[in-house]
Amino acid sequence: MISYVLKTLWRHRTRTLLTVTGAAVAMFVFCFVGSVQEGLNRLTTGSDADRTLIVFQENRFCPTTSRLPEDYSRKIKEIPGVRDVMPIQVWTNNCRASLDIIVFNGADPNQIQKTRPIKLLAGNWQQFQSQRDAAIVGRNVASRRGLKVGDQFSIGELSVRIAGVFESTVPSEENLIYTSLGFLQYTRGADTAGLVTQHEVMLTEDADPDRVAAAIDAALRSGSVATKTRRKGAFQASTLSDLVDLIGFAHWLGYACVGLVLSLVATTTVMSVQDRIKEYAVLQTIGVRPLTTLRLVLTESTLLCLIGGLSGTLLAMIALSLGGFAIGAEGATIAFRPTLSLAISGSLISIFVGLIAGIAPAMQAATVPIVNALRQP
Amino acid sequence: MALVELRGVSKSFRKGEETITPLDNISMDIDAGEFVSLMGPSGTGKSTLLNLVSGIDRPDSGTITVNGTDVTKLTRTQLADWRAANLGYIFQTHNLIPVLTAYENVELPTLLLKLSSAQRRQRVELALEAVGLSDRANHYPRQLSGGQEQRVGIARAIVAHPKVVVADEPTGSLDAETSEQVQVLLQRLNRELNITMLMVTHDSNIASIASKQLILNRGKFLTRSEKAVI
Repeated sequence: MISYVLKTLWRHRTRTLLTVTGAAVAMFVFCFVGSVQEGLNRLTTGSDADRTLIVFQENRFCPTTSRLPEDYSRKIKEIPGVRDVMPIQVWTNNCRASLDIIVFNGADPNQIQKTRPIKLLAGNWQQFQSQRDAAIVGRNVASRRGLKVGDQFSIGELSVRIAGVFESTVPSEENLIYTSLGFLQYTRGADTAGLVTQHEVMLTEDADPDRVAAAIDAALRSGSVATKTRRKGAFQASTLSDLVDLIGFAHWLGYACVGLVLSLVATTTVMSVQDRIKEYAVLQTIGVRPLTTLRLVLTESTLLCLIGGLSGTLLAMIALSLGGFAIGAEGATIAFRPTLSLAISGSLISIFVGLIAGIAPAMQAATVPIVNALRQP
Repeated sequence: MALVELRGVSKSFRKGEETITPLDNISMDIDAGEFVSLMGPSGTGKSTLLNLVSGIDRPDSGTITVNGTDVTKLTRTQLADWRAANLGYIFQTHNLIPVLTAYENVELPTLLLKLSSAQRRQRVELALEAVGLSDRANHYPRQLSGGQEQRVGIARAIVAHPKVVVADEPTGSLDAETSEQVQVLLQRLNRELNITMLMVTHDSNIASIASKQLILNRGKFLTRSEKAVI
């Protein structure tokens, strides 16, 4: 009987194509919205977000306005529960929300290699460590800006030579450019010498992050600049607070897309069943069971939805994979990544929506009084 | 015992304020291998009777027994299974599935039976051969003439080797020449394959090909003397 369903869909090619296209577009948007949501979740949750602290200047948000003494790291290191401290100078081309934000993180190359979950795809660490203006670039930035090893990359007052391109298990890392701390401090002018934007604090296994954060702020209160220390996840959520609201809203857009697919496929299936109600009555006169009739209609609606949904999901995965998209604000970036869970949820939602969309017309086809339906012209 | 037995069958419809009773306490028998034609003016319940025997409609009262099964007591699903195994239906307007070829249309009822693919193929080929359409097996309904479509419909009705074949005005939408061919075919199937047939028609010439002719009028069968008057 499946060939009957396939032939029916093929016979009404235009209707099938329009419905599949509509479902594909909606699921494409759904996957994109989902990837933004996942990107934000990755940034604000997880072990790195929970077990790492960020020390920032109190009441400052944009990286350009936070100026902490570099030697704070020495004091922070003395606090119980602190395993390591990495002073970081951050430079960004745009403090506001942007789809093409460029963020430089200047830190000790050895510490970067030791603490960051990154792996060089091209280039070498030695050049990065030895050459003053060397930079290693996340593969998303490299792909977005067409950068490769050996290129000179300039933006604003910064000019670096690409010593490597890296990938990372943390997608947002792939939107960063790392340089040495000294380079970023001195290139920007003498007034940042000895200053950094933030200190990243790695904790010991048994440390309580909130208690250590409070201890850091208390210890540095007597220093020249007051600090505000938060877990990395909370810091990033706060940095991206404007975007978080927007992404929360986009979340509803995702549901709206699912609703759109539901409405589209349901409309198509209802029309299809109404057009062919006599055909279903003929099938039942021949001896096809009502339940089989129900299954035929459900198969039709599910196939429509699945073909559209899978196409949209696949296209979204390809676009997300090739595009290296990211949105950022104030030095923090949310990477849009294709994930298996997103692909699976896109496919499952397509099947589920297809089934739901087909229920009413399927019931109609299965329970229609046969004699009345046979009288239809 | 007759193959088809109707006992005290009544059926009424509401049409606005009015109640129409096309069948009023009808009883009849059809023996195995018999070819019965059912005539009568429009609206006298011929098609209703056919639909009741087919199990696609239910009577208000009475029993309908086909091959020992009281079809009035079966659920909708049981009726579907029963029809698949026992009944062939020839429609006036052919009602072939447009997306399927002649072969696939004829094959449909066999998909509902427990048959091997070889048995299915053999049955479909024989049915198409019986109606003289072996060479049109791969044609779609839109590629067939009205007469050919009806012959495919007949092949579909006999392919599952049903106990009874019912035909609702099988020549109603055909021209005279094609109608003649279909009549000959139905007669041949009844004689050569011993298929029990119940055919509704309002054409007395077509009714004459049947071995038994019944006339329905005002919800009742006419008696022999009433028929003579008509």
